[in-house]
Amino acid sequence: MNIFSFYKDGKALYCLFFIWLCLSFSSLFAKSYDCYDTFFLPEYQIQGTITDGINPLAGVTISVKSKSNSTTISDYSGQYTISASTQDTLIVSFVGFKRALIPINGRSVVNVELLFDTTTLQEIKINAGYYSVKESERTGSIARITSKDIEIQPVTNVLATMQGRMAGVNIIQTTGVPGGNFDIKIRGQNSIRSEGNAPLYIIDGVPYASETIGYNQTSTIYPSTTSPLNSINPDTIESIEILKDADATAIYGSRGANGVVLITTKKGKAGKTTFTVTPSMGSGTVTKFMKLMNTEQYLAMRKEAFKNDNIPYSSSDYDVNGTWDQNRYTDWQKELIGGTDSIMDLQTTISGGSEKTQFLISGSYHSESSVFPGDFIYRKGGSQFNLNHRSQDNKFRLTFSTGYNSQNNNQPAFDFTYDARSLTPNAPKLYDSNGNLNWENGTWDNPLRNLNAKFESKTNNFIANCVLSYELFSGLIIKSNIGYTDLNTLETRISPSSIYNPAYNVSSANSSLYVNNTDRFSWIIEPQVSWVKQLGLGKLDLLAGATFQSQTTTRLFQSGTGYSSNSLIYNLASAKYVNVLLNDETIYKYLAFFGRVNYNFDKRYIINLTGRRDGSSRFGPGNQFATFGAVGVAWLFSNENFLKNSSWISYGKLRSSYGTTGSDQIGDYQFLNTYSTTGINYDGTVGLEPTRLYNADFGWETNKKLEAALELGFFQDKIFTTVSWYQNKSSNQLVGVPLPGTTGFTNLQSNLNAVVQNRGLEMTIRTNNLDRENFSWTTSVNLTFAKNKLLSFPGLENSPYSQKYRLNEPLNIELVYQYKGVNPQTGIYEFEDINKDGKITFPEDKQKTIDLNPKYYGGLQNQLRFKKWNLDFLFQFVKQKNKINPMGFAGQMSNQPVSKTDRWQKAGDITAYQLYTTGYNSKAVTADYLYDRSDASITDASFVRLKNISLSYQLPMPTKAMQCKIMLQSQNLLTFTKYKDGDPEFTSSGFLPPLKIITLGAQLTF
Amino acid sequence: MKTFYDIAKQMLWLAILSFFINSCDSFLEVDLPKSQLTTVTVFEDYATANAALTSIYAKIRDKGLLTGNNIGLSNQLGNYTDEIIPYGTPSNPSLTFYNNSLLAENPDVAQYWNDSYNQIYAANSLIEGIEASTKLSDQNKKQLKGEALFIRALVHFYLVNIFGDVPYITITDYKKNSKVSRMPSSEVYQNIIGDLQSAITLLQKDYSALERIRADKYVARALLARVYLYNESYPEAANEASAILNQTNLFTLENINQVFLVNSKETIWQLQSAEAGQNTQEASTFIFLLGPPALVALNNDLVGSFSVTDLRGSNWIKAVGDGTATWHHAYKYKEKNFTSISKEYSIVFRLAEQYLIRAEARAHQGDLIGAKEDLNQIRNRAGLDDTKAITKEEILDAILNERRWEFFTELGHRFFDLKRFNQINKVLSNSKPGWNTTDHLFPMPQSELSSNPNLGAQNPGY
Repeated sequence: MNIFSFYKDGKALYCLFFIWLCLSFSSLFAKSYDCYDTFFLPEYQIQGTITDGINPLAGVTISVKSKSNSTTISDYSGQYTISASTQDTLIVSFVGFKRALIPINGRSVVNVELLFDTTTLQEIKINAGYYSVKESERTGSIARITSKDIEIQPVTNVLATMQGRMAGVNIIQTTGVPGGNFDIKIRGQNSIRSEGNAPLYIIDGVPYASETIGYNQTSTIYPSTTSPLNSINPDTIESIEILKDADATAIYGSRGANGVVLITTKKGKAGKTTFTVTPSMGSGTVTKFMKLMNTEQYLAMRKEAFKNDNIPYSSSDYDVNGTWDQNRYTDWQKELIGGTDSIMDLQTTISGGSEKTQFLISGSYHSESSVFPGDFIYRKGGSQFNLNHRSQDNKFRLTFSTGYNSQNNNQPAFDFTYDARSLTPNAPKLYDSNGNLNWENGTWDNPLRNLNAKFESKTNNFIANCVLSYELFSGLIIKSNIGYTDLNTLETRISPSSIYNPAYNVSSANSSLYVNNTDRFSWIIEPQVSWVKQLGLGKLDLLAGATFQSQTTTRLFQSGTGYSSNSLIYNLASAKYVNVLLNDETIYKYLAFFGRVNYNFDKRYIINLTGRRDGSSRFGPGNQFATFGAVGVAWLFSNENFLKNSSWISYGKLRSSYGTTGSDQIGDYQFLNTYSTTGINYDGTVGLEPTRLYNADFGWETNKKLEAALELGFFQDKIFTTVSWYQNKSSNQLVGVPLPGTTGFTNLQSNLNAVVQNRGLEMTIRTNNLDRENFSWTTSVNLTFAKNKLLSFPGLENSPYSQKYRLNEPLNIELVYQYKGVNPQTGIYEFEDINKDGKITFPEDKQKTIDLNPKYYGGLQNQLRFKKWNLDFLFQFVKQKNKINPMGFAGQMSNQPVSKTDRWQKAGDITAYQLYTTGYNSKAVTADYLYDRSDASITDASFVRLKNISLSYQLPMPTKAMQCKIMLQSQNLLTFTKYKDGDPEFTSSGFLPPLKIITLGAQLTF
Repeated sequence: MKTFYDIAKQMLWLAILSFFINSCDSFLEVDLPKSQLTTVTVFEDYATANAALTSIYAKIRDKGLLTGNNIGLSNQLGNYTDEIIPYGTPSNPSLTFYNNSLLAENPDVAQYWNDSYNQIYAANSLIEGIEASTKLSDQNKKQLKGEALFIRALVHFYLVNIFGDVPYITITDYKKNSKVSRMPSSEVYQNIIGDLQSAITLLQKDYSALERIRADKYVARALLARVYLYNESYPEAANEASAILNQTNLFTLENINQVFLVNSKETIWQLQSAEAGQNTQEASTFIFLLGPPALVALNNDLVGSFSVTDLRGSNWIKAVGDGTATWHHAYKYKEKNFTSISKEYSIVFRLAEQYLIRAEARAHQGDLIGAKEDLNQIRNRAGLDDTKAITKEEILDAILNERRWEFFTELGHRFFDLKRFNQINKVLSNSKPGWNTTDHLFPMPQSELSSNPNLGAQNPGY
């Protein structure tokens, strides 16, 4: 990494370069470009229809060869009119079809049948952020899904749409409650900090911060605080590109280490104005329950535990001492998380325009209730507007996109999943005979008390982006991207006195309200200049630009306590005590210069150089700037003479890249030595406390990425395959180093000289199995093998990480005790005593490492079309290990998995589980604690899941101008796994697993 | 003319560009967030330096060992010994304390450790900030530093009593503090005594006329008396206790029902509530209005041990019945809810303890008459006759019993007393089925042993 000061050395250079660039072209503005042919022949109106052989094609561009200014577009029925002379030649072009040159030869009706371009896949322009590149000519690793894949999925989160569809991209849903988050890791975990692995999100050119907008006191229903990504509506997305290797990400410099997610929203298409309406309805249920004990098994366990401990029932052992009915049985999972949520969704789009100006307006509404008891609902609505315009001479272009999205989320404050699994099966009924919550004389905490504790969030999100470009002269374009985002969220959580057992006699004077107001707005300006020049057989592409970005986050966390009535609870002014818990504004500023040099020789050899010099306000003086760069090369060997006319290889490319990227995801102001206000009063003074341990000397995390890939197409690309190998080494780790509590804090931000390596092999295969008029069948497979390894860590043995990581092992390991089994004599779990000191000690005996990263994962997608039927299904598969759901020792007043009936009872028993105890047998309690931290608690959690299935039928319509499609879609319909503790995808226990969703919808276009 | 136009345009471009490029470095400058001050600024002004100190008192009140909520020592050591029985749901954190089945990964134990050292860090940071400050007056410096030294000693005192050998932290340098070793208890005590002696000389201001919510020299001496007693330095303990007991114009034993009120003259140091009108967290933890109890109730052995005439049994304990069963709760603090103005604060040191410290110290020194005099002060206030104990052993036994009745559910006195009198195994193995002889210390937090290998081995039994 180069750390020379930008101010001192680099600036003059850039300055000169810019001045040269600008001055040398400034005089060109005055010139006129309206110089076209003035040679006239008599003109006629030519008419015709354009088809693909079967159906008419709308939106096809027809132009006259010698006249740059006469262009028309076919209408919805494929018809066009253009004036041309009899000697002219028409150029007919349309994406996905071969360009046709049709001499008019004196005809007045010219019907054109366009041929499918079999190499179309290679012609698709891929968005690479600051530039776009033809699929065939890209040097970087970019995965992509389009609206075709997104629209068939009944999901609301943008990350959900990618699950199982992209190689190298591992996405895990963290809760099934609507509005919850997803974890994404692109090519593995690079940073030791779990929160430092988020990719950079860019929506239509505007960076979209994914840092949380939540507060842990309000969004208690979720395992993590609210993510702003929920504000993105998947239905407005045209394509999502994920940039993975150095070649693709280095131009994003310090923010590209964990990959870049580029989201492009839908744009209007020229032609007749079309309306599309897509209503759908559906329902969701929990995928999988745990198998728990019934009352008979449970009470037998409890009674045996008391017998084992040789103690009598105490007055608070209500389940066995006769206080509660011992014949009751409630399946609490069914009762508390077994509901069916109902989903409603409506999307409408209007799009159209002329050849020069196109527009798209869309609106959407989505609502989803809850599988929990009670009336909870998640609502999301939004609108999107897009405008494209080109000047008459095609030199000036404008793209304007704006989206507004509003979410209104209403959920219980706590997830019922934990209660559903741990409540004793003979616990009392939920409601008494009058329909009120039953507290059974204060002997239990009715789980439905939490229905009164509500979480509400309202999030509004506005994104606007404008790209202006002007072609100064052929090949030289100046461009500026101007973007703005504004997000505000209001979250509340109430804790009214009614959630307490009336036995505690808590009044509304103890009711409380937590409020989180978070606003985040950001702007970005990115002036750029690009130049394309044909140099003999080669083509040179140059790009230079700068980024100025600023982001301000304002947070106000408040709580109110003590109300005269619970009905006033949402009114902070009615609270007796209002506490401001945080009132803060943080600013993040970012500045960068970037460039790209691309040389493409004869469509055979391509070299791509990218670089960026970055500055960020997140670092202290002297550490603010750093330079990142990459080189990518590609050899399109199928364009070489020896393969050009091959009958079986239709496409072949070898590509490789190497470069550096960085990460500055450490939060703002971490380098300052400060005191913060506590908001808490003592002796008439609001306190000040040391904010954190002070360390000014930390800088960028760097990630060196290496990749090599082979792309092959066979038989006109009917079989298309990519194999890529990558190796990322992440060093200079920015870590909240866990510190011993004796330092006063439990962690410190600093750079750690550790190296993490991610290596992997990604494969994709796409086959066109059949392609007939009435029937077609396509299969796509993606498969990723990934290995994560801690390569070096100086002083690991004496560091706070000594019992967390091991050299040459993945970061995501678990150090565990080695389980030996249940001692047949004592009935207590036994573990390997590695250091032979006669007892199980930490850390000496807790040394077995278990890798919790998936060994491999991927997806298998099939798309079938039969006449007007379309069937699309995706299987997601993951090979992994995971922890069992910890349930505590068996015998206490808490339900257990039914498998725990296989317990030790008397000397000589050989069983899977140890004896029952109520908690008095401290040897058994300790052994159970060790068991949860031993290899016995880690099990195979591999699964194959029918992630998505979608069936649609195109209804026959009286006119071609109208189309109607009926769609049946499902998410997570089937799951095959050996994992016993609920849903296998899941890693956070005690939260609602992902839901199985089925929806029925229609799409009407006219 | 055209040339002029071109030149003008080129100048404009130049101006725009140089603006952009010159502003590069300054573009990245950001202001401090509104809720933070730099450390240097904090110690330039008494008001902010004082705010840095009061926040430590607030931390002690709200978090860690001395807090009055159900995680604090008053409740958890009550469960751990023979004062309290837990009720409520299996998730009640008191259950593992009651069963004496603490594990090294117990989150509450880790919290005691981390919160305590965070409080110590804040005190050390304050001491370093004050020493570096050039703007604070000498008088202010002395007072702030004295209070910070007292806090440092206080927190270490509790740590050494529940974890055994612990590091004594006096600096803020995390590089050194992350590699510290455990210091033998006797050395920890030497450090505590040193800090308290410095504090006593620095603390000139006398808060006792006010609400007694900050540490002054009497507060430091009250702790020092206790420390000497625990350290078996009996003459010194008796001296320190006398220094307070002799201030009869400031401190007197109150009537049994006024001991725990805000303006009680028995109070040496108490922790102010967070809000005006708020009362103690102890009251919300212990008091229940209907049975069965939500969290905890008093152990019947304790309730039954009071003599019928003992005013403490009738005034500091309350019975709650549901018709079939009866439970008891501590009723020293009586205000569970908000009142128009706060009636009770959480008391850490009160005069009764100084009498019993001197009684114990005198008994050990052979001054049996003096010991009985002090003991009888407490007995008489509770409506009891003079003690019948005669021999040294009988008097010490009587003091242990008296302490049980006087200080139940107050900051773990019972646990520390049983340990000091070497009676803990004898008493608790009878009343607590889960009691092991190694339970006299808590486990060292697992996270702490993992992150600092220099801390060495886990405490025995864990």
